[in-house]
Amino acid sequence: MRAETLKGHLDGILLAVLEPGPSHGYAIMEALRVRSGGAVDLPTGTVYPALHRLERAGLVRASWSGSGGRRRRVYELTPAGRHALDGERSTWRDFSAAVTALLQPAPPPAVNPS
Amino acid sequence: MTGLSRRPPPDGGAAVEGYLAAISARLPGPAWARSGITAELRSGLLDATDAHRAAGLPPAEATAAAIGEFGDPALVADGFTAEIAARLARRVAVILLVTGPLVGALWLSTAFTSHLGIHHVPPWEWQNLSGAVRAAIRLLVVPVGVTVWAALFGIASTGRLTRWLPAAPRRAATAGAVAGFAAVGADALGLTLFAAQLVAGPGALAPIPAAAAATASIVRLILARRAAHRCLVIRASLA
Repeated sequence: MRAETLKGHLDGILLAVLEPGPSHGYAIMEALRVRSGGAVDLPTGTVYPALHRLERAGLVRASWSGSGGRRRRVYELTPAGRHALDGERSTWRDFSAAVTALLQPAPPPAVNPS
Repeated sequence: MTGLSRRPPPDGGAAVEGYLAAISARLPGPAWARSGITAELRSGLLDATDAHRAAGLPPAEATAAAIGEFGDPALVADGFTAEIAARLARRVAVILLVTGPLVGALWLSTAFTSHLGIHHVPPWEWQNLSGAVRAAIRLLVVPVGVTVWAALFGIASTGRLTRWLPAAPRRAATAGAVAGFAAVGADALGLTLFAAQLVAGPGALAPIPAAAAATASIVRLILARRAAHRCLVIRASLA
């Protein structure tokens, strides 16, 4: 699934991936792949900048963690991020219900017996 | 973040470092923005390499697979351009808003210690100054006002309001450039007034506060001009 297809829902998806607990960039990309059954495989140039944007908006908090050999930039939801995720879920439920209804095959037109 | 980037690469290896250098070369903006991004990507690449090794690939192939997974350096760099523009504009705006009152306070303290005016009357009514200088002081409100408004817009459009507003990194970069050039105008006007006062009454100015204010204004003018230019360059790359 391409990034353009997810446009408008990327923020909610990233917030949802971070909901269970703090995570770092590569683990977030992996979680997107695993949780979508491989359907969502977003490029590095989409995921990392989006995380930075969410941080700027105050929806996630980022900090360097680890010591010695490898340090990772770890992201976690802020209270505002949890609130925004609730909103994204609600919006998605309304949106998907409406689109599902619209995409249903239309019933055959009534046939006039005459 | 910058401090982290100065550490030696942990165990990236030539392939990873070469890949990161290719990304860094394509990233716009100042070094502080690029170094934080490459440090984060390095740790991600090492995690990806570990994952491929755990899946059974030998070290060199695991590194190549991780690099392949992260993708074309040009595309990775392109993805960061808007974010760097927003962060740059925000940083420029904050620095201008913080340094403006400091430089202004230095000029006012110069004026007071030089006995150019009295505290309870605004500077444009000080009778010790010539009419032209008083008029020029009034003019300062234009560049100072533009700096403040553009900087406030830059901060507002790159902060928490982006939760509800559409992302507009190009507009933020424009605001950063406008604020920077307006600050250049304010400092240039302040320095011109200083020079005029030096000519009109040499020896009247208290030397130490005057030197401090002039130095601060010159430094701010140079840095603001550089920052504004950077904002314009990154704005062009967002076209």
